Amino acid sequence: MSGETKNAKPMTTLLNEETAQLATFDVSRIPKQLLPVLDVEKTVALTKVRVDPLAVLKIVKHARESHPTSVNGQLLGLEINGVLEVTHAFPVPTQLGSEEDMTNYQIEMIQCLREVNVDSSSVGWYQSTRLGDFMGQPLLDVQASYQASPNAASSVVLIHDTTKSEQGGNLSLRAFRLSAAYLDLVKKGEFGTKDLAARGLTFANILEELPVQVEGSSLAKALVAELQWPATGNGAADQLLAQELQRPSSFNAKLRARRLADRSAVADDVADDDVAGVPGLGAEGLLPVRSVGFLGRPVAALGLEQADVSLARQLESMGELIDEHVHDANQWMYWKRGEAKVRNARAQFVERRKDQDEVPEKELDAMFRPLPEPSRLDALLNTANLSLLTKAVTQSRGPAMTKMYMAQALQQDN
Amino acid sequence: MLNLNLPSLASSIVKSGATTMATTTTQQCYVHPVVLFSVLDHYLRRNDNQERVIGTLLGVRSDDGRIVEVRSCFAVPHFETEDQVEVDMEHHRSMFALHKRASAREQIVGWYATGSKLSKYAALIQDFYSREAAPFSAVHLVMDTELTGGQLAIKCLQGSPIGAGAHPENCMFLPLPYELQYPDAELTALQAAADSSEAPEGFAVLISDMEQLEKSIDELKAMLERVTAYVHGVCAGTEKPNNVIGKYLMDMLAVVPKIDSKQFSTLFQTHLQDILMVAYLTNLTRAQLNIADRLQRIV
Repeated sequence: MSGETKNAKPMTTLLNEETAQLATFDVSRIPKQLLPVLDVEKTVALTKVRVDPLAVLKIVKHARESHPTSVNGQLLGLEINGVLEVTHAFPVPTQLGSEEDMTNYQIEMIQCLREVNVDSSSVGWYQSTRLGDFMGQPLLDVQASYQASPNAASSVVLIHDTTKSEQGGNLSLRAFRLSAAYLDLVKKGEFGTKDLAARGLTFANILEELPVQVEGSSLAKALVAELQWPATGNGAADQLLAQELQRPSSFNAKLRARRLADRSAVADDVADDDVAGVPGLGAEGLLPVRSVGFLGRPVAALGLEQADVSLARQLESMGELIDEHVHDANQWMYWKRGEAKVRNARAQFVERRKDQDEVPEKELDAMFRPLPEPSRLDALLNTANLSLLTKAVTQSRGPAMTKMYMAQALQQDN
Repeated sequence: MLNLNLPSLASSIVKSGATTMATTTTQQCYVHPVVLFSVLDHYLRRNDNQERVIGTLLGVRSDDGRIVEVRSCFAVPHFETEDQVEVDMEHHRSMFALHKRASAREQIVGWYATGSKLSKYAALIQDFYSREAAPFSAVHLVMDTELTGGQLAIKCLQGSPIGAGAHPENCMFLPLPYELQYPDAELTALQAAADSSEAPEGFAVLISDMEQLEKSIDELKAMLERVTAYVHGVCAGTEKPNNVIGKYLMDMLAVVPKIDSKQFSTLFQTHLQDILMVAYLTNLTRAQLNIADRLQRIV
């Protein structure tokens, strides 16, 4: 799942050294609203994450191209007054050899971007996920290393779910930080039941979620307006519609292809991507994907079969996680029974030796030593994943039912 | 803008004059939205003394080179004065090498520039990029960031040599038909950006799936009302009928599949039962997890 994430801590330390070597500049040249950026002690806590549409598009594009493998990359931006602004993002190659290679890649990329005045401070990283169960030990480790480095004490991890975005018609982008409780326990290195209870760490509060906002520059807003309503003169709207009529819409093309297949003697399976009979389009990946003359609101994929396929995968995954959950619970019970047995044996021993002289505690401890409690962290992560999956599935049922009723409304007049 | 898709006609299209270079001309260009936003971002971050910015376009081509898909881009620092122009080629090469490691399929397909008019050095830069994109011709994308005429005009151009000699300065830019591609996932991201520009505070908070569906349905209803009003108007004679719109509406309505009502109601019921069952089971699982968690903490 997220086995490809690598530790990026050395990058930020190297970057710190580099910044220290830069000549000091005149503080009075900084505009007033940016002065809080110099707040090195990070006294203001993060409240929300504001993402630029450019960064969102780059993340979405990278995730979509590498679907279904999960990929990750860096986020660049600034933190001002508790609001983390993400202005740029770049992908990190997955086949890099060593950790050093990856660090070097990131440093080179940031240096190149700095030459064109892109914000050069790293504010976190992003990861794409497939079914929605992104919680894993590698993710927590990388995020911990990001939050540990002094310059990036305000780093977040942005999780983007490609399948959910495409099917729900709603951008799925969530920002997370590690909670203080989890970080404390990592430092201590113990994840026994008592430690978890003492710090109040449950599967739900390992990660803290921050609200995400999308805000673009005014020029970006002008661009979006231009895309939605392209400048049309007289009769240009007619031309657009005429073009639409000629162009095979994906639905019509599939319908036509299916009708052809039905009529043919050998009914082959018509693949979804087979836009049959559109000449002039060469290699795969160059087929126009929903090219229209203007940008409209994404009507969520009303193809119910697509949603069912991913639902089936989610349910399978849920089944596996439930098995693991039960297995973890059994393991723990087994340990607990062992501990109870040892305790009973010890009590009996003390009981039998009551008439004779007292045996010192230390000897008793040496004679009756219970096994140490297994770490509950894996079980906790498993439960967290399960809770994420179930939440995603439950949330998708509402829209699914609504779409069903919409389809029914269309059919009622027939 | 005619989209000619038939390969047999392509060779007879006179897009360029006699070419001395053995380059294949591009017929159609598809652009991803991330490229446009990237260009704007670069323009906003330009240095004080720059009026125009340029950068490299990356993408893929079809095997015969006639169709180009521009997938991403990066900025290249450049400096131009009245007499000369400098382009930081080192930066261009190192950025391209870095990009190639992240996405191996993308190659250099052209370059972009901002501004309402072509730079007078455009021909020279076009020549440089043509050599980089060899053996295919380089695509030039221009975005009018000065918003002349109240629009953000986006143009795709292709250089073709004119004149007697094969000098790099003799280059005429011909328009290239382009289309914007909106893959489904990017569509949602763009919708979030669009919501942010319409919202009064200037930003859009990411909302749940159900709320997004509600917005879609509202918009759909509004569209249906507009269309119904128009159709009623045409039938009553108050509106001028437009054949193209009529055909389009007919085509659209024909898409609704015809299913026998008994069959449909069985389908509907079974599907509804499936949905409810899944919802019940997942809620059960969640309740179980919460109980297990509470029990753990007591112990």
